[in-house]
Amino acid sequence: MFTRFTIPVLIPSVFAFAVLMASTAPLAKDIRIGVEGAYPPFSAKTADGELFGFDIDIAWALCEEMGATCELVEQDWDGMIPGLLARKYDAIIASMSITEERKKRVDFSEKYYQTPARFVAKKGTALTDNAAALAGKRIGVQRGTIHQCYLEKAFPDAQPVLYPTQEEVFSDLLIGRIDAQLSDSIVALDGFLNTDEGKDFDFMGGNHIDVECHGEGVGVAVRKQDQDLRDSFSAAINTIRTNGVYQEINAKYFDFNIYGD
Amino acid sequence: MDALFEYRQALIDGILITLALAFFSLLIAVGLGLLGALAKLSERPAARACADGYTTVVRGVPDLVLMLLVFFGGQQLLNSLGGVTGWWDYIEVNQFIAGVFTIGVIFGAYMTESFRGAILAIPRGQIEAGLAYGMTSFQVFYRIIAPQMVRYALPSFTNNWLVQLKTTALVSVIGLHDVVYNAFVAGRTTRQLFTFMFAVLVIYLVLTAISDVFLRWLGRYYSKDMRSATR
Repeated sequence: MFTRFTIPVLIPSVFAFAVLMASTAPLAKDIRIGVEGAYPPFSAKTADGELFGFDIDIAWALCEEMGATCELVEQDWDGMIPGLLARKYDAIIASMSITEERKKRVDFSEKYYQTPARFVAKKGTALTDNAAALAGKRIGVQRGTIHQCYLEKAFPDAQPVLYPTQEEVFSDLLIGRIDAQLSDSIVALDGFLNTDEGKDFDFMGGNHIDVECHGEGVGVAVRKQDQDLRDSFSAAINTIRTNGVYQEINAKYFDFNIYGD
Repeated sequence: MDALFEYRQALIDGILITLALAFFSLLIAVGLGLLGALAKLSERPAARACADGYTTVVRGVPDLVLMLLVFFGGQQLLNSLGGVTGWWDYIEVNQFIAGVFTIGVIFGAYMTESFRGAILAIPRGQIEAGLAYGMTSFQVFYRIIAPQMVRYALPSFTNNWLVQLKTTALVSVIGLHDVVYNAFVAGRTTRQLFTFMFAVLVIYLVLTAISDVFLRWLGRYYSKDMRSATR
């Protein structure tokens, strides 16, 4: 604990806050955090097996803020919440959106970012993002995500095509097996449109945000009984938002404010 | 191709995990398969019922469901057991052991059927002759049944093994980083998923080709008293 306090980069106000946090949240000493590793630019892995990305940086920043010793546990997306409930780790920082459905099983901190969802289709497509235009069209979406929920709710006549990973959605869009795809705008931009493969594709239509499906943004998930831990994360998110650490990480990956409003 | 070279260590680590998983779970599968086959052919109704139950349940449930059940369900069971009794707070279920155990149990059921079929293919008279000579039932198994059983079981054993080798890819869901998982992560990070999937395809082909050569040699070895014009 005391070695954390000696870290010279901590400015006095942060120092004071850390002491406060340490006294109010004794549980937060050793935290294992579940992360994904396959969702660039939020989480990815170098050839040396080192995790990097926005989620990873945020995780370390929050740990630093909470004065906790953290360990990152890499977990496949499909087993993310089961792993938390089975206590393989104590928190999830893996771009997990806060939704009503997930709230039945886990608790969330305040959001640490929120980006709109957008469609992507071939450049110059005749399609538009309204329910009538997409009726009967094959729309690719990652299985079990907020995007599947929104697609099924707002575009009931479209034909959803479900994939285990976002990369596979892009692959099939490229081949032409689907007419369009719906995903997070950042993921579409960074994972596809800005790459060489995505040069013939573009966003189709505007931003989509729906509280019922997209929820209140992306938060840190913890087990329901760990309310102290949840509150520590919320407080730490607030602090890094005000002391500039968040903005630094934001600027490292995106050229706009990813926190939303 | 550069990306493949860059991520070679991740691929090699993944191959080692895949091979270790396949090998250790094969040991369990063969052990359970032998026990299961003997139980199914036993004269005791209880043993037959147990073995029948085992193969029916395990072969009827999807592999992935069973794996999730053992790893996450088993963990929660252990946790709540510890919570109720107060003996422990948290015991980590090791991912590798959970993976080996689950795959071993699944393929033990298939091996049971392979071995049972092989034992049934041995002419009944040989076993009766052995017993008539005064051999114990262990001697009959060791001297008469086992060597011929291997010969008869090898084709379907090979089949099971090849499927089992590929089933190891399921373990990524419980957080084990086998060759498929590592290739997926590398492919998604570098955005060259196709390149990495192709590499995985080649890796699996090489692994199955090597095991094929070995199993053929084994087949020839156990059939050396069965020379025929067609071989």
